[in-house]
Amino acid sequence: MVASSRPGPALIEGARPTNVFTRHELLGDTVLDCDVVIVGSGSGGAPVAAELAEAGFDVVVLEEGSYYATRDFTADTSAMVRQLYRDGGASMALGTPPVMFQEGRAVGGSTVINGGMSWRTPDEILARWQKDHGLDVSPQALEPYFERVEKRIHVAPMDHDAIGNDNWLLKKGADAKGWNIIGNLRNQAHCVGSNRCAFGCPTGAKQSTLVSYIPRALHYGARVYADVRVDRITMNGKRAVGVMGHVALNGGAGKGPSINVRAKLVVAACGAIHTPALLSRSGLQSRSGQLGRNLSLHPNVKVVALFDEDVTGWRGAHQAFQVREFAHENIGTFAAVNLPPSIIAMSLPHKGAQLGALMDRYNHMVVAGLLCEDTDTGHVKTLRGRPQAFYQLAERDAATMQRGLHLLSELLFAAGAKQIILPFAHATQICNADEARKLFANPIPRSSWEVVTVHMMGTAKMGRDRTSSVTDNFGFMHDVDRLLISDASLFPTPIRVNPMETIMALATRAAGHVIDNAKKFLQ
Amino acid sequence: MTTWAAMTRAQVPTDEVSYQHSPTGRAVLLSLVPVICPVEAAGCAEAIVDHVALTLGAAPPLLRKGFGAGLATYDLGALPRYRRRARFLTGERAERYYDSWAHGPTPIHTQFAHALNQLMSLACYEQPEMAARIGYAPGPWIEEVTKKRLSVFRDDVRKQDAQILAPDPLRPGVYVGRRKKAGG
Repeated sequence: MVASSRPGPALIEGARPTNVFTRHELLGDTVLDCDVVIVGSGSGGAPVAAELAEAGFDVVVLEEGSYYATRDFTADTSAMVRQLYRDGGASMALGTPPVMFQEGRAVGGSTVINGGMSWRTPDEILARWQKDHGLDVSPQALEPYFERVEKRIHVAPMDHDAIGNDNWLLKKGADAKGWNIIGNLRNQAHCVGSNRCAFGCPTGAKQSTLVSYIPRALHYGARVYADVRVDRITMNGKRAVGVMGHVALNGGAGKGPSINVRAKLVVAACGAIHTPALLSRSGLQSRSGQLGRNLSLHPNVKVVALFDEDVTGWRGAHQAFQVREFAHENIGTFAAVNLPPSIIAMSLPHKGAQLGALMDRYNHMVVAGLLCEDTDTGHVKTLRGRPQAFYQLAERDAATMQRGLHLLSELLFAAGAKQIILPFAHATQICNADEARKLFANPIPRSSWEVVTVHMMGTAKMGRDRTSSVTDNFGFMHDVDRLLISDASLFPTPIRVNPMETIMALATRAAGHVIDNAKKFLQ
Repeated sequence: MTTWAAMTRAQVPTDEVSYQHSPTGRAVLLSLVPVICPVEAAGCAEAIVDHVALTLGAAPPLLRKGFGAGLATYDLGALPRYRRRARFLTGERAERYYDSWAHGPTPIHTQFAHALNQLMSLACYEQPEMAARIGYAPGPWIEEVTKKRLSVFRDDVRKQDAQILAPDPLRPGVYVGRRKKAGG
């Protein structure tokens, strides 16, 4: 057994920052002592790590995925998916239709693979959280935290010349329809439009936690242990006192030496799918019965539109604009989301010569998607220690998405699209607005929809009332001492916009609460 | 038995799962290349099948097992109608058999055919020849824009890098820890 104390063992590899340890160093069973152990290094975990490390806490971050640097992110799409995505991107919520979802599995979590959209929680959502859930989350109360996050991750509009043709076509269509379209705010410092956001930004422009909060946390003395899967939170009575885990090998399939971290405060920041599973594996329950329930997904669907003109959408920034015209109808946004050819080919139902003919027009494609604010919820069950999500797309949400698809098709035809391939199990194509009108006149069976998501939320919701919520106003689990939850599982409802900035602002607020009550958490 | 403590760094397993198709699975997948992939991909059939193994290696274990079982069933399922296994079907017969699954009698048939299509289409357009064919060349583009960022926007990039590390305590003047790292 190796008992390590700060600053930890010397690095074997010179390429990684000091204080980042991986399976290459963790060759024996390890015991660590610290003030705060944080499970997860994404948008929920990394801000807490940086704020508390700067405040002088001794912080250990555990991350199941590996550590990669910007130089490791290449144009090899498939390799990036295998290395950066949990389960190679093949995670699925079971239901009708099944919903494919993606989570990051690397230092930096899902911020390494997201599009970087950085929006504050809409005021009306915060008002709902205040009114219905008793939370102290007015826009004024959260303002300093949003400001701080936006500074740290450099939230900014896109540089004009980084915007690609696919996004200009989206704007052309929205302008033709007279619809509200806005420039996207993203966590980027001069994004130059490599359009590889979802596969690790190879230019370093996207300010994921990998290149922002994690370096800051390390600078102020935090230690990051990658390739470590946490099995359970260790408890002493009602008090969380650390975590037990093991070194994850072979993409998580293999089990290496054990790691035991003893801490005064435990932070679970594993996302809305894995946080409830970690709590469940640790034998923790919520008297509300809400742990693992209330799963929202912001279901989204994509279409492929073919244009006569050259688009070459992979040269230019990802999602430079968002159409917000129909937010009041629960249709969150429309956006252009260029994808590499292999991912598009995978999503098309065509095969053989048909597939070839379609893919030959790859540089004439615009991929556009829409996001729906869902009104029904699913749940996460822990089966043999692994989480499994279940989610049934509600009839009314399917109707919302169908209306959204109709509107998005109209926009794309207004922009000059000659053909649109719709996200239904068997190839459905429309060639003009009349065909769209006819197709969408009748309900499309839910079973034929191809639905995906990257916004999982709500499985450990915050609230004043411990009989109806899992955590308190700051994310501390009711009826458990010193266990903070810091990720999108806290959201009482879906938020209609991309969740990263909300997660980061809530995490920063929670860190402030810990600092303000340092004696309570350090004793 | 090797103990962990005795292992050197070079012996530590990689981050990728090594997955290999069974001989049956490999043969079935090879027979499906002309059915699912465009004719131009014929020259990379072996590479496409290898790539499917890489993708499956990263997938959940249950999915890997299910896919392997599905391939065996798909192979045998051709016997009643064609008197030969799927791996030996060619041309129109191979296509008809695949379509009978894609529009099949149960959701399991259709979902498995769908999964086959997804995995092989992905693998097909991951091949450099196929990407080049459709004019997708992200490598040089990434190189070009990275250089641009580090030259045109050099000062702003440095400013942001410095901002990330600059002292900016959330609660100014409050340091609760036992020590503060030098430079912090």
